[in-house]
Amino acid sequence: MMAARRFKIPRLAQAVLTVALIYAAFRVVFDIILGQPIPASLMTMYMFFVVSGVFMVFTFTEESTQELVAPIRALVEDPSKKLVRNIVFLIVPLAAAGLTYMKMLPDFAAPLELRTIHPAPPSSAELYGKRFDLLNLTNPFRKFEKADPEKFQQLVAEGGAVYMANCQYCHGDKLDGKGPYAAALNPTPLNFQDVGTIAQLQESFLFWRIATGGPGLPKEAAPWISSMPVWQQFLSEDEIWKVILFLYDYTGHRPRSWEHE
Amino acid sequence: MTPRRAFRLLGTLLLLAFIFCLVPPDGTGTGSGAALAQQSADAQTAATGIAAPKLTAEDYPTIAGVNARVVVWLAAQLHLWFAAFVLAVPIFVFIIEAIGMWSRDRRYDDMAYEFIKISIAAYSLTAVLGGLLVFSLIVFYPHLTQYLGAIFKETMFYYALLFFVESAALYLYYYGWHWLQGGFRKWVHLTIGLLLNAAGTTLMFLANGWLTFMMSPAGIDPSGAFTGDVWTALHNHLWNPINIHRMVANVAYGGSIVGAYAAFKFLSASGAKEKAHYDWMGYTANFIAICALLPLPFAGYYLAAEIYAYSQQMGITLMGGIFAWLFIIQAVLIGTLFLSANYYLWCGMARSEGAARYYPYIKYIAVVLIGAFLVWFTPHTLVLTNEELKALGGPYHKYLGPLGIMPAKNTAVNVMILFTALSFLLYRRANRVVTVPWEKAGNAVQVALFSAGIVNIFFLGIYHGYFTNTVYKVASSIPQVITTLVVIAVSILIDAMMYRGAKEVAPLRWGRVPDRAQYALFLLAVAFTWLMGLMGYIRSGIRQHWHVVGVFRDNSPDAFTPTLGYAANVVSVGTMIFMAMVIFVFWLSQISGVKREPDGYWKEQRA
Amino acid sequence: MKIFAAVILFSLATIGFFTWFSNFGIPQVTPAPPPKEEVLDLGAMTMDQFAALGERIFNGRGTCKLCHNPVGGRAPLLDKIGEVVPTRLNAENYKGKASDVESYLYESMVDSSAYVVAGFGKAGTNDTVSPMPNVTGGSIKLSDAEIKSVIAYLQKSNGLEITVEIPKDAEAAPETDEAGPREPFATVEDMFTEFACVGCHKLGVGEEEGDIGPDLRQIGTLRDRDYLRRSLLDPNADIAKGFEPDAMPPDYGQQLYAVELEMIVDHLAGLK
Repeated sequence: MMAARRFKIPRLAQAVLTVALIYAAFRVVFDIILGQPIPASLMTMYMFFVVSGVFMVFTFTEESTQELVAPIRALVEDPSKKLVRNIVFLIVPLAAAGLTYMKMLPDFAAPLELRTIHPAPPSSAELYGKRFDLLNLTNPFRKFEKADPEKFQQLVAEGGAVYMANCQYCHGDKLDGKGPYAAALNPTPLNFQDVGTIAQLQESFLFWRIATGGPGLPKEAAPWISSMPVWQQFLSEDEIWKVILFLYDYTGHRPRSWEHE
Repeated sequence: MTPRRAFRLLGTLLLLAFIFCLVPPDGTGTGSGAALAQQSADAQTAATGIAAPKLTAEDYPTIAGVNARVVVWLAAQLHLWFAAFVLAVPIFVFIIEAIGMWSRDRRYDDMAYEFIKISIAAYSLTAVLGGLLVFSLIVFYPHLTQYLGAIFKETMFYYALLFFVESAALYLYYYGWHWLQGGFRKWVHLTIGLLLNAAGTTLMFLANGWLTFMMSPAGIDPSGAFTGDVWTALHNHLWNPINIHRMVANVAYGGSIVGAYAAFKFLSASGAKEKAHYDWMGYTANFIAICALLPLPFAGYYLAAEIYAYSQQMGITLMGGIFAWLFIIQAVLIGTLFLSANYYLWCGMARSEGAARYYPYIKYIAVVLIGAFLVWFTPHTLVLTNEELKALGGPYHKYLGPLGIMPAKNTAVNVMILFTALSFLLYRRANRVVTVPWEKAGNAVQVALFSAGIVNIFFLGIYHGYFTNTVYKVASSIPQVITTLVVIAVSILIDAMMYRGAKEVAPLRWGRVPDRAQYALFLLAVAFTWLMGLMGYIRSGIRQHWHVVGVFRDNSPDAFTPTLGYAANVVSVGTMIFMAMVIFVFWLSQISGVKREPDGYWKEQRA
Repeated sequence: MKIFAAVILFSLATIGFFTWFSNFGIPQVTPAPPPKEEVLDLGAMTMDQFAALGERIFNGRGTCKLCHNPVGGRAPLLDKIGEVVPTRLNAENYKGKASDVESYLYESMVDSSAYVVAGFGKAGTNDTVSPMPNVTGGSIKLSDAEIKSVIAYLQKSNGLEITVEIPKDAEAAPETDEAGPREPFATVEDMFTEFACVGCHKLGVGEEEGDIGPDLRQIGTLRDRDYLRRSLLDPNADIAKGFEPDAMPPDYGQQLYAVELEMIVDHLAGLK
């Protein structure tokens, strides 16, 4: 529809061009300019709805609809277009067959894996030989943020030291998930700077995830191949809480909470 | 009174009803913790309670070859579809009849009668399906039925009695329609309509209490026994949120089903007059559906927020856990609803030649709608192949990831609603030109209003969603909603004033609408039915392996939560059964008017 | 009819699309099956559930945590069993017959004086008598199965291999209460020891007594008999300033005979 009118491009071509242009725009903007391609599964659905939208715009008036389907109708009905018709009627099934063939062809890529990034936590978890009520668990050091800012900064610094000694190899010294070992891991370590990670979560959730690591993921978060260690075997409770303080402090995010302050 | 004015009134009424509904039920302010403490205090005064039985798999009767859960599921869902339809139709029939009385426009009365005629055969099917549901519950879940019956015995008894009132009112309302015409008699008829709606709504509220008790039980003492009275059980945490959500959704749903009926009649109509009639009917039904559809996301949001407030674990199960992907399906369905409703409006512009002026704007509306929809549809968790994972450098997409969370979706849905309202404004303008001298100023104000509204919605969504404490992520949705509602209300008001005494450039010719538009109405009805089935599943599904959450455990072999694909298949089967039944009902309402006189069949009677 | 067929086809195609999308457009996550219910059916119990039962007993009915906690210092902490038990078994002052962690733990619960950790003995006995009551008697009355579940919990929480076996015979089930009516106690001192009152309260019957509950050595000057009786029957009715609720077992009303209750009330009221 953006196509210039003065060239008098046929409606059908306009519609096809519009879809193609939008597709190209997605590709150019996300793949090349931003360097973050849209996953194929999402792209399919995006394009499905783009096509629906284009269809809606091109068919909501009678004239436009007639113009749009005229070439198709002519192709099927017009006796003078016999040659073209035969070619098209050959190409369409061939293309369908080709697509089916490509689809059925075994490929060597690992099967698609889904990870629920934030699996629902259990209501309580057994950590350090104790049972923690995750619904009401809070960071014991969080209170110092207001009560004793100096002590809080000290705790954050201690958490930072723990982080640098243990976590940064994978999660990166900028907390961006790009540590020295990150490239070797799949799934890749989380980027805490992203607004979609720790900013969405409560501190108790982080405590649970850090303490139980990859092996502690619930079933719905399968496959359990996350290489996150079970940190309760290496760090003390207090150390984990301090690291959590550090994560939020450094990234500037706030832990999720349900109460208004 | 012109149809235009009548619908303005109707819209205002719906808006008022919605705002009224936003007022939270008492007790929510104190939080569930305090409420629970209060209940447990009450519980100590009661001597004994109703304890939830502890069941084993053997306590659930089985019938060979019958899946108990699916049977109850389908029976409940079918009952609900029909109930939603027969409860909603009298609501807007009542309003349309009132409009007809006020404007003394015969056409409204005729249309109202035609609406109620459709629902009358569906009424007995509702009751039959309700019976099927009760029987399947008694057969397959006897202990649960007994438990709920013990707690809700009063309401269940009065529910049955109230059903008589409802039936009597409905039959009187329908069969007395032509008898109770003119002056005082019409008033009596309208009063019966009010009674019918009061009885119907009360019935729904009672039944809602039973199922919300299963989700958010109240009046339970620390040992798990129920010790409250029936009002405590009924007035549980999620009762009012469900009441509001169902009420609004029922109206939208009823509108969409009637719309599909009108669309079918339009397609099969032969004469121009008949076509015009059913076009108008379809338009009205679609208008009702859209009016109720616009506040529906907010009602749903309120319900979800209350679920979170009641139990955070249930909230996470709902939005972030195993049901997270269901909301992607829901996004597809609601997107379908919005797009088809808009498409219907655009196609409807063909009714007047004057609309051509506005055609060029449609594509921009479409771009915004699709854009907003794509944002809404983007999931938080992406399905990635390994190459994509490497290319992105992690499971998070830097630019699409932020679109996966709630603030982006709230912003998108508000924009979609605003632009749907814009489509409607353009449609209203199609056949007229303004004569007031301040036309330019009026348009400028409207443009400014929409722009300011959109800017505000974006600001609230982006600033509060991404740059402040997470608390505001949830909180910012309220001012967004208010912005949307204010923009819609004020711009319709300005428009109404601008077009007072406007000149008609081309007549609005009912019936001159492409067949494609009717398919948009079918799409609306099917998508709505399917969506209701899906959301009915999740409402029930978040209880997981509990009959009554935290109190009465489901130990049947079917206590597991199925995959979404399985649930979708059940919903699809249900939708198809429902469609078959609805077609039967519509067909019945058609053949009742047919009279045949076969030759030579009856004996000649001697005079 | 053509229109009807077209509409039906259109609707079916719509439903088909939604079904397709739900099945193939989104990933199918199989939710975890419902969690196993913890029932006291020992036969069907997993070891984790058995240990969890032990944990509940440890924190609750067994009253173990009243003393074995880091706050009061009344009894040794149980967090290094794996290290200390082998050395204790070889210690000079070990008088028991246990040979491994499991039997040692069992023994310590029924015959606690077999080994007394230095500094934790009954006052005046030079660490030869343990103040810990026999958990099979008195107010605690654990069954054999329950003791084993506590052992399982202790082994699990210490990161040791769980060696106990879940008893299979129904008679060992926790609910069984084979003991008939017992003989009433003759003196208040016996009751104070048997019901482990001195573990928490100072009562003036031994040298070293607990401070988890209020000091009762002069309680008769402060409280009347009604108050004292209520405090025994319903400990949470009044909580003395500076003390936590729920610390005292709430079931002395069931444990004591009426005559014993009155004896204690008389005794306490007389402490001036």
